[in-house]
Amino acid sequence: MGLHVGIDFGTSNSGVGIYQNNQVHVLPIDSKNIVPEVVKTILYITSDYKHFIGQEAVELYYKQNINRQRRFVKKWTGEIDYHGADMHYVRDVYVYMDELQPGRLMQFIKTALRSEKYVGTQVFDRFYSLSDIISTYLQLLKQHAEGLLHEEISGVTLGRPVKFSQVPELDQKAQTTLHQAALEAGFKQVDFELEPVAAALYYELSLNKPQNVLIFDFGGGTLDLTILRLGDPHLRKVYASGGIGIAGSDFDRAIIQKRMLTHFGKGLVQHDPEILNLIHTIPDWAALPELSTPRAKADLERAIHANQAPVKLKALESLIFNDLAFSFYNMIESTKINLSDTGVTIARMKEKNLDIWELYTRSQFEKDIQEHREQIQNVLMDTVYASGMEPDQIDAVVKTGGSSNIPIFTEMLNAIFGADKVKSSDVFNSVTAGLAIKAQQNS
Amino acid sequence: MINQKKIDEWIHEVEERPASAALIIQYIANRLSELASREEELAAQNIELLSGRKVDEYESRIANLEYQLELLKRQLGGEINFPIEMPANKPRIETVNLLVFNPLGLVMRGEMNQAELASGQTITRISGGEPLGDMRPSILVTPSQEELLLLFDSGRTLTLPVSQLPLLSLEKLDWQQASIYEPSVKEELAAIHPIAKMSLYETCIQVSRRGFVKKFKTSFLATHITEKYIGTGVKLPADKTCGLTFANKSELFVMVSQEGYIFSMQADQLPVAIEEVIHLGITDHIVSTFITGSKPSLLFITQNGKAVHREVRWIEPASSFRTKGQAMLSKERRDAGTRLVGAAAVDEADWGVILHSDGTLTVHNLGELLAAGSVAAGNQNTSILCFSGFHMPERKG
Repeated sequence: MGLHVGIDFGTSNSGVGIYQNNQVHVLPIDSKNIVPEVVKTILYITSDYKHFIGQEAVELYYKQNINRQRRFVKKWTGEIDYHGADMHYVRDVYVYMDELQPGRLMQFIKTALRSEKYVGTQVFDRFYSLSDIISTYLQLLKQHAEGLLHEEISGVTLGRPVKFSQVPELDQKAQTTLHQAALEAGFKQVDFELEPVAAALYYELSLNKPQNVLIFDFGGGTLDLTILRLGDPHLRKVYASGGIGIAGSDFDRAIIQKRMLTHFGKGLVQHDPEILNLIHTIPDWAALPELSTPRAKADLERAIHANQAPVKLKALESLIFNDLAFSFYNMIESTKINLSDTGVTIARMKEKNLDIWELYTRSQFEKDIQEHREQIQNVLMDTVYASGMEPDQIDAVVKTGGSSNIPIFTEMLNAIFGADKVKSSDVFNSVTAGLAIKAQQNS
Repeated sequence: MINQKKIDEWIHEVEERPASAALIIQYIANRLSELASREEELAAQNIELLSGRKVDEYESRIANLEYQLELLKRQLGGEINFPIEMPANKPRIETVNLLVFNPLGLVMRGEMNQAELASGQTITRISGGEPLGDMRPSILVTPSQEELLLLFDSGRTLTLPVSQLPLLSLEKLDWQQASIYEPSVKEELAAIHPIAKMSLYETCIQVSRRGFVKKFKTSFLATHITEKYIGTGVKLPADKTCGLTFANKSELFVMVSQEGYIFSMQADQLPVAIEEVIHLGITDHIVSTFITGSKPSLLFITQNGKAVHREVRWIEPASSFRTKGQAMLSKERRDAGTRLVGAAAVDEADWGVILHSDGTLTVHNLGELLAAGSVAAGNQNTSILCFSGFHMPERKG
């Protein structure tokens, strides 16, 4: 019989916790990270199919990829059958592959669980289904945790958002995929707990009398809201839960769309669909790395040669062909995080042919995400009313998750519930800690 | 691009949070300063373009490439026809040449007869050196088909093939008959270097007598050569450049001082700006620089004729600059006046030429010299002035 741990498999960050000797221990899984208890949900697969997660993955990716050489070769990938009224023929399909590509970096893996269409991806010669990708990540988390605990881990309580999707079938499919991945990773017993409920369990440890609590779990991928009665484990009751698929990565995308595309030719390039398509792909973190093809290179060179916004398009070329996408998204995320502490920051990136300097203010950011803010406020109020309570009947609002630190949302919660009721939990570890408590109960 | 809309948004931020005003001003001021220096750079580039200097620079680069091609041609012994075909049955006529030179720019070339060389043999005695006083000469042994770089302490350079130096009879080397590559006023000939193979190396390391070093890419050196100026390579007024060494990035660069201190470091860790890598005593100076390459042994020659042998692995590479260096001589020997006159990475098949203070030149098989431990030839009352190792070309049938 092995140990039973709690794993918070988050969109941006993950964590592993265990409840031992009446204490919660969030394990320092990623010794290379500034906060070792937090592991970036990033998987790097090298061309010889070695797998790395967290900060180690990031460092290896940087080491192997930035400004590296490329060599495109034409590879046969399959064939297409053409059926016409009176004819049928088969055509071979080729793609250009970069044979010097040392590895493939994957982030926002959890977001793929929300997607109806995403089934997996080709990594060099192997196809990784979504379940394979997640199980690879979980397996490495398990191995690191076992290394720290010196004992086999057999069971896991995994966190899951209240709703992966508004569509019940997709929601069920996402949980099934996650369950399957955990089994493939080597966990013999797998159970689930809602992430906000897990965060509540951790908060409950600090209570000495029952309270109506709203858990505002706002991470990298989703906002999860849960209203429940806490304080007495025997009378714990969930009044309502809700959520929306808006979170940190959507804000990053909004910043890129509203503030960054002009640095790559938006507004200057017109009537050139190929180039416009490249520009409008920038906010899509999954598609941008795929743009580094000879065709895109030729399109860009043609446009630059035609003196069509040459400086901006050189910057776009540099972003795509120097593997700067990851650095770019990181820069955007840091810009957003900086605005939680200060009213003004600089979005800055200086690389070969790429020089971004954008003075960005908190009021600009709030304007850029205004639409999301309104949607979030609506969902919040819907959830409160679904609980059958009025806002003043909520005794405490517990914020957790990285995005919950964004001031505009704190202000929103303060305005609705009163500043004295809004409490900050450990933004990265409270869910992990709660899952560890739940894992102990389930084992 | 900053436009009115953005400025309005910034003003809106300041209205909402007055504390942001100071930050905005600070960020914009920093950016303005950054852009101002960038603009200056661009204006300078523009002037270069308008004045045609950029064109000159590219022409010079082309000339430099042509020059390197010429060097390769000389190495291959003729015109290059593309694709290159090596002349299979055409033996290269290559002899071993001995160059003796001094800081006044006097250079003598003699040809050594490979077939007649025997270890310990006195090959000649240079005469006519008395009027030159303390102008300490140096020696270099080089193949006859080499290209030479004459490096003056002002940073000026001169290149010429070995064959262009007048050939003197080795038996009658006389300073009075030396060719003069006259330095300008206050200029001394610091070193002569073979450079035909420089394009095979990635880095060129310039060294000063007081232990200052800088490295640069050999492609830059080619540009310097075309410009006939390599830079003084010194920081202190009393210092002088003393030589160049070619190396690949991963090779171990070694520098030896007269008082027996050694500095060594992998070439790619050396500084690109002039830096004092070894802190020498006030009376000390660098006498030899080399890379260890694939050679197994190090040979140090003292002024009193000792040949000290160490294995290459004995060397302890430095991890920082301005080190005192690894001591080769004991304090007692140093206090007793023992000084190094030369050092090199060698193997047993290598040869060396030694110049004695009475003008005698002796040649030695280094395998035998390493075994013997001292330089036997020469007058016992003389001291050794300098040493140069060389690899004997294979004797053609």
